[in-house]
Amino acid sequence: MIKKLFKNIFLQEAYFWLTCPALLWEICFLYLPVLVLALYSILDYSSGSTAIHLTFEHYQKIFNSLYFKIILNSCVLAIVTATICLFIAYPVAYFLAFKVNKRFRIFLLFLIIIPSWTSLIVQIYAWFFLLEKNGLVSQLLSTLGLFSDSHHLLNNYFSIIVGMVSCFLPFMIFPIYAILERMDKQLLEVSADLGASRYETFKRVVFPLSLPGVYAGVLLVFIPALGEFAIPTLLGGSKRVFWGSIIVDKFLRSRDWRSGAALAIIGILFPALIGLLIYLFNKSINYFKRDKIKIDKTKKAKDNWDFTESNI
Amino acid sequence: MVESRSIIAKILQPLFVCFTYLFLYLPIITMVLFSFNNSSVSMKWEGFSLRWYRQLFKTPEIINALQTSLIVAFCATILSVLLGLWLILGSRTWKSYFPFNLFYTNIILPEIVLAIGLLSIFTFFRISLGYISLITGHTIIGLGYVVPILRARFTELDPVLTEASLDLGASYFQTVRKILLPLLMPSLVASALLVFTLSLDDFLIAFFCVGPKVQTLSVYVYSMVRTGVDPTINAISAIFLSLSSLVMLILCFLNVLDQVISHE
Amino acid sequence: MRHIRVENVNKSFDGEIIVDSLNLEIPAGQFFVLLGPSGCGKTTLLRLLAGLDSVDAGRIFLGNEDITYLPINKRRINTVFQQYALFPHLTVFENVAYSLRLKKLSQTVIKEKTHEALKTVRLAGQEFKFPRSLSGGQQQRVALARAIVNEPDVLLLDEPLAALDLKLKEEMMVELIELQDKLKTTFIYVTHDQQEALTVADQIAIMNDKGQIEQMGTPKQIYEFPVSTFVANFVGNNNIIEGALHVHDGNFFVEVEGLGCVSVYISEKFRLIPGCRLFMSIRPEKIFISKKDKQGFSSRLEGKAIEIIYYGHSTNYLVKLKSGKLLRVFEQNEEHFPQEIIDYDDLVYLYFQKENIVLLEH
Repeated sequence: MIKKLFKNIFLQEAYFWLTCPALLWEICFLYLPVLVLALYSILDYSSGSTAIHLTFEHYQKIFNSLYFKIILNSCVLAIVTATICLFIAYPVAYFLAFKVNKRFRIFLLFLIIIPSWTSLIVQIYAWFFLLEKNGLVSQLLSTLGLFSDSHHLLNNYFSIIVGMVSCFLPFMIFPIYAILERMDKQLLEVSADLGASRYETFKRVVFPLSLPGVYAGVLLVFIPALGEFAIPTLLGGSKRVFWGSIIVDKFLRSRDWRSGAALAIIGILFPALIGLLIYLFNKSINYFKRDKIKIDKTKKAKDNWDFTESNI
Repeated sequence: MVESRSIIAKILQPLFVCFTYLFLYLPIITMVLFSFNNSSVSMKWEGFSLRWYRQLFKTPEIINALQTSLIVAFCATILSVLLGLWLILGSRTWKSYFPFNLFYTNIILPEIVLAIGLLSIFTFFRISLGYISLITGHTIIGLGYVVPILRARFTELDPVLTEASLDLGASYFQTVRKILLPLLMPSLVASALLVFTLSLDDFLIAFFCVGPKVQTLSVYVYSMVRTGVDPTINAISAIFLSLSSLVMLILCFLNVLDQVISHE
Repeated sequence: MRHIRVENVNKSFDGEIIVDSLNLEIPAGQFFVLLGPSGCGKTTLLRLLAGLDSVDAGRIFLGNEDITYLPINKRRINTVFQQYALFPHLTVFENVAYSLRLKKLSQTVIKEKTHEALKTVRLAGQEFKFPRSLSGGQQQRVALARAIVNEPDVLLLDEPLAALDLKLKEEMMVELIELQDKLKTTFIYVTHDQQEALTVADQIAIMNDKGQIEQMGTPKQIYEFPVSTFVANFVGNNNIIEGALHVHDGNFFVEVEGLGCVSVYISEKFRLIPGCRLFMSIRPEKIFISKKDKQGFSSRLEGKAIEIIYYGHSTNYLVKLKSGKLLRVFEQNEEHFPQEIIDYDDLVYLYFQKENIVLLEH
């Protein structure tokens, strides 16, 4: 492979070097920082000397302490957010993809995109504004006679979830919509023709085919939701602590960068694991496909030589 | 397709979708409305007024923060688009060996990890935080969007059109100039706008990498929110919102244009 | 106009050998067709000639010039791509004028040459349309015009008619023949459709799926005198019968198991080893079928008509011989009121003339 690379460089030199700035940038400002973090988390100065030794004590500290619970909480929050988003997004995406005509569809999509591109902080603040004591929502609810105590709307788990879902919902809607829209509508017709009810068609045809979009959406929501600390901090009050918040704490307040780095590395392991799983999954599918193609080729070669029956 | 749908389903689905939209828009709309509220105690409507907007422009911190945000966004956009474009054009010489997957990490990685990673290396190499750290961080995020978008469009054009152009006697440079760039332009502009907006909106990287003298708009709003509700924030948010909407409108228009040009 | 010579060219992709020590000489000024099954490497060879891929070994000559390592844009060879590859953001005029603009010719010259090219492909008047508003056939003509406006030494066409419907295909084939006649440029045309090949070609080279040239010749030579079973089977319909060669009294026979002896004609080129096994190839249209006894033929076989397909201008019979062997026969429907009608399960005689049987080596 390296030989071929050099051959290409020789043949079309100038353009090869064009790719280098971006690659260098990637390595310096993405992979290097992560590496540095990893190193920070496992290396430490021995007490008294300036020698560096390998240690996993920071990881141990995390697993043995309160922090582990916090990380778990963050995972739970992210999973809950992703699940709620999925259940809301799927029907909406389905509706947009199948039940709305083209022109109106672009307008509706446009409407969904706008909130997702407004600054995160702006959205959080908007909810803060709505949900606070004497805010609009509590006023509305009290006029309807449902709520008397407006305290309960803000600074609790409910407000965090509301904030998270409203921020991440568009990111779940898009991938699912994209995949549903691209689906061959003829498949639905065939399914109906073969006798399936609309529910069955959905269960057996639409949903399985939409899974890649679902995976993408879950990924797009789960991973950022893990690292989210602004929403829980602002909407959940300072007594609720999540993974993002303790990283902030470690890095900006207590200056305990080593533990903070260890925490961050743990946070990378999640997406890395997911990425690896998806990669392996894809590879195994391709492996099975490849065998089939080989078989077809040898069959074709034989057909050309054989002439006993009709040759039309 | 002939289908029988119950009336409940016919009403429920659109209703559900309506509620979802309401859920997404309620806070934003309220906030925009109340940014025109002539009262410093948030919830009571006391007449239409632009006073918060006026106050906005009188506060120097806000103007500075806005300026910083814009400069950083502008630089990050130019950098990501240029680097991404060069990458895509040059990747042709690598044929199929090019590690595009490297760039998908940019989106997969939690932004907070990127932020503290950048913080670590900048401190380690004793580079002062500020514009540089912000721009580099935002460029990384930008590349994560620019590369897939350009690549998707590029694979439609190359190798077919590139080979046709070379076959007719053009050099690769001429091909880029006459064929590839014009056809890539809508994607380029689209990704540029996308990166610009992302950079303006970005909070996490700014939060960690901002220095003592430098502040972006998002961080400023955050610090203000921690101290309580202030209608000025409403005004800022409303401006943010209109900017984003404008960008989206342009993008939609570009998308339509692009489809019209390349539709066969 | 210069001829093309391919010398010992090798090309492999991902470890798989596509073209293996290929030698080919394509004369100048002719309509040359590369015919072969899908995936046999003919498109690869075309791309090597165009310069779109580089050879692993061997050389390519254009006239006396070694163009093996000459980059695409410097070769005086132009390609008409299978998907047309028209530049969507340029008008028809600009598409065709593209290569002229690169040469920085004057505006009047560009205009003149472009109009000329468009007139030749019968697209005058469409100059300012965009490719997306043209039909498939029109798009293809633009691709053609774009390639010929340069007056290249060689024009490469990669399955250009693949995307067109039958009627349009037939029209375009005639137009291509006329175009080549008029321009006298060497056309190298790649296809898997043997009908196309037989129609347009001055010379055909048949490529097998191992990337080797099996036979090269005029359409008639290829069709009437195939040199291998591959060629015999690939081009047109064929009947292949295996047997052993015998000599008796100066006459040659092929003994077929279960069927008896068929009289054959040996040309001087064929190697004579009495008793050797070989194949007989006979085209369906060269077998005479009848229920009655006929005189004047060299051999006769008996069988039963098990399949009859009516094509309008001809009828296609599948006849099962005593040994179980199946033969196909085409009979032209010459008469409105045929003298005999052959029906299913009728016993028929198949008559052969020995000159019509081609012998192929085992």
